[in-house]
Amino acid sequence: MMSSGHSAKVFADPSPSHNKQPWFCRRMWIKLTFLSLSIATLLTAILGFQFELDQRHDQKSGRLESLRFLPQGEVLRLALLGHHHLGADVIWLRIVQVLGEDVVAERDYEWLNHALDVVTTLDPQYVFAYDVGGTILAELAHRVDWSNRLLHKGYDANPAAWRLPFILGFNHFFHLQDYVQAGEYMSQAARIPGRPYYIDTLAARLYVEGGSPTLALSYLDSMLQQTTDPQLRSVYLEKYKEVMVARDLQNFDQAVERYRQARGKLPRALSDLVNEGYLNTIPEEPFGGEYRLHTETGEVSSSTHPERLHLYRPHEAKSFKKSI
Amino acid sequence: MRVLSIAFNTFRENLREKLLYNLLIFALLMIGSSVLLTRLTVGEWDRLIIDLGLSSMNLFGILIAIFVGISLVSKEIDKKTIFTIISKPVPRYEFLLGKYLGLVVTLLINTAVMAAGLFVVMAYLKAPFTPMLLKALGFIFLEFLVITAVALVFSTFTSTTLSAIFTLAVYVVGHLSTDLKLFGDKMGDAGKAILNAIYYVLPNLERFNLKGHVIHHIDVPATDLVLTTAYGLTYAAFLLLLASIIFQRRDFQ
Repeated sequence: MMSSGHSAKVFADPSPSHNKQPWFCRRMWIKLTFLSLSIATLLTAILGFQFELDQRHDQKSGRLESLRFLPQGEVLRLALLGHHHLGADVIWLRIVQVLGEDVVAERDYEWLNHALDVVTTLDPQYVFAYDVGGTILAELAHRVDWSNRLLHKGYDANPAAWRLPFILGFNHFFHLQDYVQAGEYMSQAARIPGRPYYIDTLAARLYVEGGSPTLALSYLDSMLQQTTDPQLRSVYLEKYKEVMVARDLQNFDQAVERYRQARGKLPRALSDLVNEGYLNTIPEEPFGGEYRLHTETGEVSSSTHPERLHLYRPHEAKSFKKSI
Repeated sequence: MRVLSIAFNTFRENLREKLLYNLLIFALLMIGSSVLLTRLTVGEWDRLIIDLGLSSMNLFGILIAIFVGISLVSKEIDKKTIFTIISKPVPRYEFLLGKYLGLVVTLLINTAVMAAGLFVVMAYLKAPFTPMLLKALGFIFLEFLVITAVALVFSTFTSTTLSAIFTLAVYVVGHLSTDLKLFGDKMGDAGKAILNAIYYVLPNLERFNLKGHVIHHIDVPATDLVLTTAYGLTYAAFLLLLASIIFQRRDFQ
């Protein structure tokens, strides 16, 4: 009652003598309080609804689902009207966020395979996506087939990216144990400028590991023909000789095995193999040493390189795999 | 001289357009947002800055070209200010050309401001700068020239709303026209002829898209650059001629 009468007086009489009255009369205060209260209530309600809705729907899996049901890259590329590189960036950004959130513990990586396919269809030159994607698919998702398919797609579109055949070679060596194919990929990577040079000799090792030292020799031969750098040439030549030892040792092993099967005993000297016709001749040891036969085990070794050329096997590299 | 004074007037008029500043601020915000986004990504972070920067420049520039371009002529007709000009001894094509040049200058300054924003972000994040970026920016501007001309053609004979829709449609189709040719090649002779005709008449806006070349450091041969520039300029000239012919025959109520 009081307030209405008071304010009515203020509004009823606009004479200048009332200017000294404070502009915020009581009705104004009530109005202001009412307004701020309503704003606060509505804001709280909005936040509450938003929060409740967030709780109802698992946001993390929602983000994962949105990646799983991305449209095909070819379709998306058309819809992006020339902005497909930005589209690839945005999807890549979302993949990285989901992978970083540790929600993919359910060992279901179908979404990643699809999302990576979309990214690389939108931007076939996105080498980093193939590189990291290929590694994650093989190591985290344990799907070497998906990894190889993605890497092949990338290698076809980017023949100058040495890391793609390199990872393909790694997959074939480490996961598929197909050493000759691994050597083939490594030898392709070894022909791409910008690679680290250890790949060159790694290819030769892989061929030897796959039981094909002759492939390794012809590969090193072609590398020697392409290279003029003296330092690199000496590395190749050294490796060439090592592979020759490996090839000779392989021939010795086969001859010893044939000898043992035919005669029921091991040869007493390497010359026995030649004399009995199991070997044409005893080859020269390329480093100037000699080949020796261990009569108890039947194993042949080189005097200069007693340890055989080999690669670390998966079981030898377990600690490495755990650390990934 | 008359063309230049009309152009200057149009430019001053454009500067009073609130829409222009809205779009410009949004473009700069988008470009600036890459500062935050690069923190979230893994690997090749500099491509995110360039992709986001070039795409926002392109998109907002096109929006400015369309929404300012469509009102160039129709606003004059609506406000009846056109009578004060065409009643004077000014050929109608000069009026159109002046309007076009005025908007082109506006767009040039806009592009420069957005490019400056991009360069500031790149300098702040120490992203490597390549000369290819400048070529891509030039081609984005070339696309603006064509789209502005398209908007001008439509604004000479329809309402602003329809002009906006038509110009947006041309923008969309212009980016998909390569597929039109692709579909045509798989059809019979008649279908192929029709689709090929449409393909050659429509602007092929994908030709002005060098955004991918910047991030992947792919160079474009100089002859391609010259030919594409010539293509863009010729297409804009053709559209201006078309607009002049339509405008010449138009009867103002």
